[in-house]
Amino acid sequence: MDAILKATGLKKYYGKGEALVKALDGVDLEIERGKFTAIIGTSGSGKSTLLNMLGGLDTPSEGSIRIGDTELAKLSSEEATVFRRRQIGFIFQNYNLVPVLSVWENIIFPISLDGKKPDKKFIREIVRLLGLEKKLDSLPGQLSGGQQQRVAIARALASKPSIILADEPTGNLDSHTSGDVIGLLKMTGREFRQTIVMITHNPEIAEMADRIIRIEDGRIAEQ
Amino acid sequence: MKKEFQPVKTLNRRTFRKNRGRNIVAVLAILMTTIMFTTLFTLAQSMNRNMVEMMFRQSGYDAHVSFKSITEEEAESIRSHPDVQEVGESTVLGLAENTALSGMQTEIRWGSDSYASHSFAFPEEGRMPESADEIALDTRVLDRLGIPHKLGERVELSWRKDLNSDEMTTSTFTLCGYWTGNESSYAAMAWVSPDYAGEMTDGLAAPKDGQVLGTHMAQVTLNSDRDIESTMNRVLEDKGLENLEYGVNLAWLPETNTAAFEQSLPMYLGMILVFLAGYLIIYNIFQIGVTADVQFYGRLKTLGMTNRQIRKLIYGQANRLCLLGIPAGLILGWLLGVVLVPVLLGMMEGEHIVSANPVIFIGSALFTWLTVLISCLRPARMAGKVSPIEALRASDASTGGKKKRKRSQGSASVTSMAWANLGRNKKRTVTVICSLSLGLVLLCSFYAKNAAFDMDKYLEWLTIADFQLSDATHEDRTNGYDPQGTTLNDDLIEELSGAEGVTETGHQYSHQFLWQMDETTQDNFRQYYTEERLADWASYNEAQAASMEKNIQTGEISAVIFGLDGIPLDTITSETYIQSGEYDPEAFATGEYILAVGPATEPEYLTDPVLPAPSVGSTVTLEGKTYTVMAVVYPLSSVDGGASEIGTESSQELHFIIPSDTFREQWPDNTLRQFFLNAEDGAVPELQAMIDDYTESVDSSLPVTSRQTMAEQYEEETRSSAVMGNAISLIIALIGILNFINSMATAIVSRKREFAMIQSVGMTKRQLRQMLISEGLFYALITIIVSLVLSSIAISTVIRAMVEGGYSTYHFTLLPLAVCAPVLIVFAVIVPWFCFRNLERQSIVERLRME
Repeated sequence: MDAILKATGLKKYYGKGEALVKALDGVDLEIERGKFTAIIGTSGSGKSTLLNMLGGLDTPSEGSIRIGDTELAKLSSEEATVFRRRQIGFIFQNYNLVPVLSVWENIIFPISLDGKKPDKKFIREIVRLLGLEKKLDSLPGQLSGGQQQRVAIARALASKPSIILADEPTGNLDSHTSGDVIGLLKMTGREFRQTIVMITHNPEIAEMADRIIRIEDGRIAEQ
Repeated sequence: MKKEFQPVKTLNRRTFRKNRGRNIVAVLAILMTTIMFTTLFTLAQSMNRNMVEMMFRQSGYDAHVSFKSITEEEAESIRSHPDVQEVGESTVLGLAENTALSGMQTEIRWGSDSYASHSFAFPEEGRMPESADEIALDTRVLDRLGIPHKLGERVELSWRKDLNSDEMTTSTFTLCGYWTGNESSYAAMAWVSPDYAGEMTDGLAAPKDGQVLGTHMAQVTLNSDRDIESTMNRVLEDKGLENLEYGVNLAWLPETNTAAFEQSLPMYLGMILVFLAGYLIIYNIFQIGVTADVQFYGRLKTLGMTNRQIRKLIYGQANRLCLLGIPAGLILGWLLGVVLVPVLLGMMEGEHIVSANPVIFIGSALFTWLTVLISCLRPARMAGKVSPIEALRASDASTGGKKKRKRSQGSASVTSMAWANLGRNKKRTVTVICSLSLGLVLLCSFYAKNAAFDMDKYLEWLTIADFQLSDATHEDRTNGYDPQGTTLNDDLIEELSGAEGVTETGHQYSHQFLWQMDETTQDNFRQYYTEERLADWASYNEAQAASMEKNIQTGEISAVIFGLDGIPLDTITSETYIQSGEYDPEAFATGEYILAVGPATEPEYLTDPVLPAPSVGSTVTLEGKTYTVMAVVYPLSSVDGGASEIGTESSQELHFIIPSDTFREQWPDNTLRQFFLNAEDGAVPELQAMIDDYTESVDSSLPVTSRQTMAEQYEEETRSSAVMGNAISLIIALIGILNFINSMATAIVSRKREFAMIQSVGMTKRQLRQMLISEGLFYALITIIVSLVLSSIAISTVIRAMVEGGYSTYHFTLLPLAVCAPVLIVFAVIVPWFCFRNLERQSIVERLRME
């Protein structure tokens, strides 16, 4: 199996003594290149903590995460930031678009932060697939929730990352729009041969993935 | 795409537009900081320039070096040296002795154009004299002579070619040029033509002994003003003129610049305060901004914005704010400086130059910019450090998990909630309180310092009577006091003494002679002037110390006997002025007794067993008459001050006081030196008018000191420096209030949702408003308490030490705080009230939904 991401013995503890909270308690995980993986679990199961850690936003108390050839734990916070904008595409529940930037600017934002020129042809292709051609000059505030999340998907794809991490991408959307967005996510993932890891608590949405991982009380319960 | 997309720049521009309210406050803060920096810089620079300018005026010329006696050939030789830029020459003929000019030294001279212009005496109107009957004068001399400022006027001057004879030379000239007289220079110039000078000197190469006629002088300007003395020595050496004596212009000495710098030191200290005030508010604004936008920065971070890029974003915002605030601040600050310079320099005579040195603007802009950058340092670091995860949870409270005080059964009263809210963001609370207190403490300190000035103490030093009239030569330190002067003639004195409302008068006569001390007195001097004391004296006035040493050795000292009655006698014999002995008025009136004047040492330092004066109880014989020393008194400028008598050798003086009757018996030829006059308050203006009339119509040379004009003049001067100090502390206080309003307002706005939440669970509008107002009141109260404590400490230590001695009397006062406290409380109520009204426009549900 060609694993793009490999996590071993991940632990995340908060607090001490009686107040000790084990958000993650020994997680081993491999994510296959080019696959669409869904992580499901109830709220408080530790799935968001896991995703944040995989993306280098949070650091584990114990254990290691490798993405490609990079060991995340060894990076300084500044290096982690640079790594994130080059290698990881994030999609958040609240879209996380910069309100003062237009759709186009939002999409190329991480690439520009890296001081690189965006691959315009490639991005236009993404924009076309996501149906955002006419919205490029709009500001996020002028878009519907589904449109905003599509912008976020475009942004995640634009930098050709090693992996895309999506944290409840449909959490703020109605079920019809949710289906559309996940469909688009899956379609673009396949089109651009992207690895996607998605968190959701919705089993129906999870069903659309290639693989489902269930997490409970900080441990992987079922693969 | 159109242009290259630069994310940090674009964000910078767009977020800037978004935060309009915050930016207005920040620009205001930067504006005020710049204003203060610029004003202080302008004042400091202008003070410096005016100080140096004044030094030039006082020394009378702005060339580097002057020769009091030199021949034309020597001057020519110096002129040919490559290091010399310019040589101005002048020949002195004599001093004008017209009665209208008494007390004002008017030197009749020929001068080259260079000499005249370097002496600030080049005609502004007309030209230098060319033919024998022409003359150029300054406006002060013209005014004294009663000649209109008009070319072609007839001028008559009398002077003596031979100072030892009474023969007057009177010449009539035509005015060919004039210039504005200079108050601070001791002598006025009357330029005559070379022809006239040549005619008068009649080929005289150098003056005869003890004469001035024919004295040839020169002023040399070198190419560089560095190391004037060594350059000049080299020039003289090169020309073989080593034995020529010259003086370096005091104004060019490095010490002058140092002194000028010291004068403006308070301005530079003020800048530190400005920096502090600026820092406190700008820091707070950015800190609040970063806290409010913590989620935004967290979001940028998750998208891959690095620490450095976030910091750049914040500095970018700061720079934009500076770009708006600084230029306006520079202009306003300079204009404020233009207004304040004359106020501040009120005590200096002459015209005031307001410096527009580019250094002021560059310096102020740079200082403000640095203040802003330093203020942003911490907020920027904080924003950079925002962890993307934290950002998703952060709220208004300080970051970092602090242990929370658990109250087992705390009541959730509105006031206790308000108190707890203050503690939620301690850093901000502290910043705001510091910022507010800084202004208040400064205001209190300035006020206390100004209030400490004791007008009575000061006036007593200057004058001891409502009116003090003197002989024209009383203060003439150049020529000396003329004991037979006629300024205070009998008619005048009679008229004034008899005027309505006069309550008290007083007379002063004086006589000066060389006295051979008796042995006890000499001994007293010897004991008092220890080597240590003389060395200390020499450290600031070597000549005087050396002269005293000589006096002690030889036992010869210049004695001045003052004959006093009325006001001056009463004053000097009052208890505060007695150094040793006891004054018995009846015995003193017999004329058998005498008072000696001791040293001007402050009473608390006067620990010596002996005073440099005859011992109390001993007898002294002065010009044939023997007196018993009754007491030793303190010197007092109004009573025993003034110039030495004409013809006395420069020496230290020992002063004595006897009754005026006794004095007049012994020296009947000596005329009245000073006349003192006290009047009922109501009669003062009338007397003033009477005296004014006299000086205008009869004798313009009569020196008059009036208590009222002195007081007014001084009040004006102290007012100006008070205005200055108060203006600065007021702006700082204003910054504090702006900081307070901004913090209050943003704290309320950023807690919109929280308020909606507590309202949704049952807090009424009234309670919420009460809570907010309580928060404001707590701020105000803490500020008042902090200011009270700090001001008390500052006033009772620093200010007390500052006003010690001099003409000040220390009072403890916190009046400004008492005035400001209600204002602060009003703000503490109004600001939350307004913010709350603004808040109420949105419904609870709307606010709850907001992100």
